[in-house]
Amino acid sequence: MVVLSLRTAPTRALELAGVTPDRLAQLAQREIAALPVRHGGRAAALGDFFAVKGERAARVRVEGDLRLAEGLGAGMTGGELVVEGHAGRDVGVAMTGGAIEVRGDAGDNAGGAHPGAARGMGGGEIVIRGNAGDDAGARMRRGLVVVTGDAGRGTGRGMIAGTAVVFGAIGPDAGRWTKRGSIVACGPVARPATFRYACTYRPPHVRVLFLYLRERRGLDVVERWITGRYDRYSGDLAELGKGEILQWAGE
Amino acid sequence: MIINGVTIEDTFAEAFTMRVARIVITGKTARWAREAALKLTGFATSVIGCKCEAGIERELAESETPDGRPGVSVLFLTMDKESLPEQLIVRLGQTVLTCPTTACFDGLPAAPDRLAVGKALRVFADGFQGSKVIGGRRYWRVPVMEGEFLIEETFGMQKGVGGGNFLILAEHADAALAAAEAAVLAMTNCPGVILPFPGGVVRSGSKVGSQRYKNMLATTNEAFSPTLRAVAPSALPEGVNSVLEIVLDGTDAPSIEAAMRVGIRAACLGGVRSISAGNYGGKLGPHHFPLRVIMGNAGKPA
Repeated sequence: MVVLSLRTAPTRALELAGVTPDRLAQLAQREIAALPVRHGGRAAALGDFFAVKGERAARVRVEGDLRLAEGLGAGMTGGELVVEGHAGRDVGVAMTGGAIEVRGDAGDNAGGAHPGAARGMGGGEIVIRGNAGDDAGARMRRGLVVVTGDAGRGTGRGMIAGTAVVFGAIGPDAGRWTKRGSIVACGPVARPATFRYACTYRPPHVRVLFLYLRERRGLDVVERWITGRYDRYSGDLAELGKGEILQWAGE
Repeated sequence: MIINGVTIEDTFAEAFTMRVARIVITGKTARWAREAALKLTGFATSVIGCKCEAGIERELAESETPDGRPGVSVLFLTMDKESLPEQLIVRLGQTVLTCPTTACFDGLPAAPDRLAVGKALRVFADGFQGSKVIGGRRYWRVPVMEGEFLIEETFGMQKGVGGGNFLILAEHADAALAAAEAAVLAMTNCPGVILPFPGGVVRSGSKVGSQRYKNMLATTNEAFSPTLRAVAPSALPEGVNSVLEIVLDGTDAPSIEAAMRVGIRAACLGGVRSISAGNYGGKLGPHHFPLRVIMGNAGKPA
């Protein structure tokens, strides 16, 4: 395992895109410390901010208050990234594989897309054990984003496919412009008017998904979400309309 | 070798390599999982006439299934690679898809050979299907009148073993049946094994081909038919008036061997003269199950 411990706290945005487990798996300790990052737009090295332990491993742990760190795990294709603490914006942006776990809050655009890109996340899993900012899972093509706390505006905005699960509340514009894909809401969700009610039922794939999250990802999934009924809203009807918001409706 | 007064013949069962898939069916209750499994495995006793052999392997607890509901594990076998997906698509589509509350999962996720069964059945949804990838496995969601049918996209296929067997030679038909029932009961829930015949028992063990009808693939085994003892060469010892056979299919030879051991042990009851097995001289099937070796630790030498 590679452990990156924050040594010098950043004072401005610290861009970490490219510091991904699949890449660290190829590098020696010295090469990892020399990886280029940007601090407030200026070139710097990863080792300027982090103490590096371990090398050549696709399992990476990042420790410290990383609220100013941007793009943790962005573009990663495999491996495992654990963030011990809060993370900044763009966690796992455009990732295509592997797993990210944030043990704290995450900023905006977690599992989202690069600015202007047609597609965001193309695969893999992001678990945020805390709150997420705006646009979690935006323009996702495939993959899974789980938020155990609340999620902000535009969760799953423009999803092409994939799944976003929020245990807490979801802000306005959830799933706006969604083509396919699922937003599973255990708490309240502000639905756009372009989602239309279909039925109340027990979706079999939600059972499988929640059991997977509980047993394989160790999340605190309560039984009533696994066995419960969900209101199915189809949308976005201003788009393809094959997406859905599944809102928990009771046992 | 004698176990509980029953002679274990010095012979062996000869079995074939088949292709096997394991289907996990879950339902709201164990009853509905079972209903689907019973229909799915109906008319699947022998490849001779049914094109496939299938049976319930065991019942699964909630903790053993991917969706946390009670389930049933079914083994499904065919002689060749091509007919396994054909049979599964037709049968799952008519039995599990139609059965209330069920969902259908692959029971051999590690098998590299993948059969696109759910992928074929998804078109029942007429364009309204949707898919989900959960934990690296893809599922298809098929909207139906009840709600939604969930089926895994692909099912694993591996080499299995078909045609493991033993014969119960008894003094009368009642004793043969009682011994067969006891054997089947003992083999229920043996992992990796199914007994494809009615109640697990065959009364009409056959020989290959026919001496009279050239279009018949299999005909009665006169050597083991007690009513023909006087008119055809007989393999029946004196005092034997009825024979029943247990046929076992499974995922691998050790599973079959383990099930044969408990089944034969349970069949050694009063009224049973001997336990034998069916083979073709050892040249046709790659798997041999010598009865005395299998029972080696279970009884004393004769």
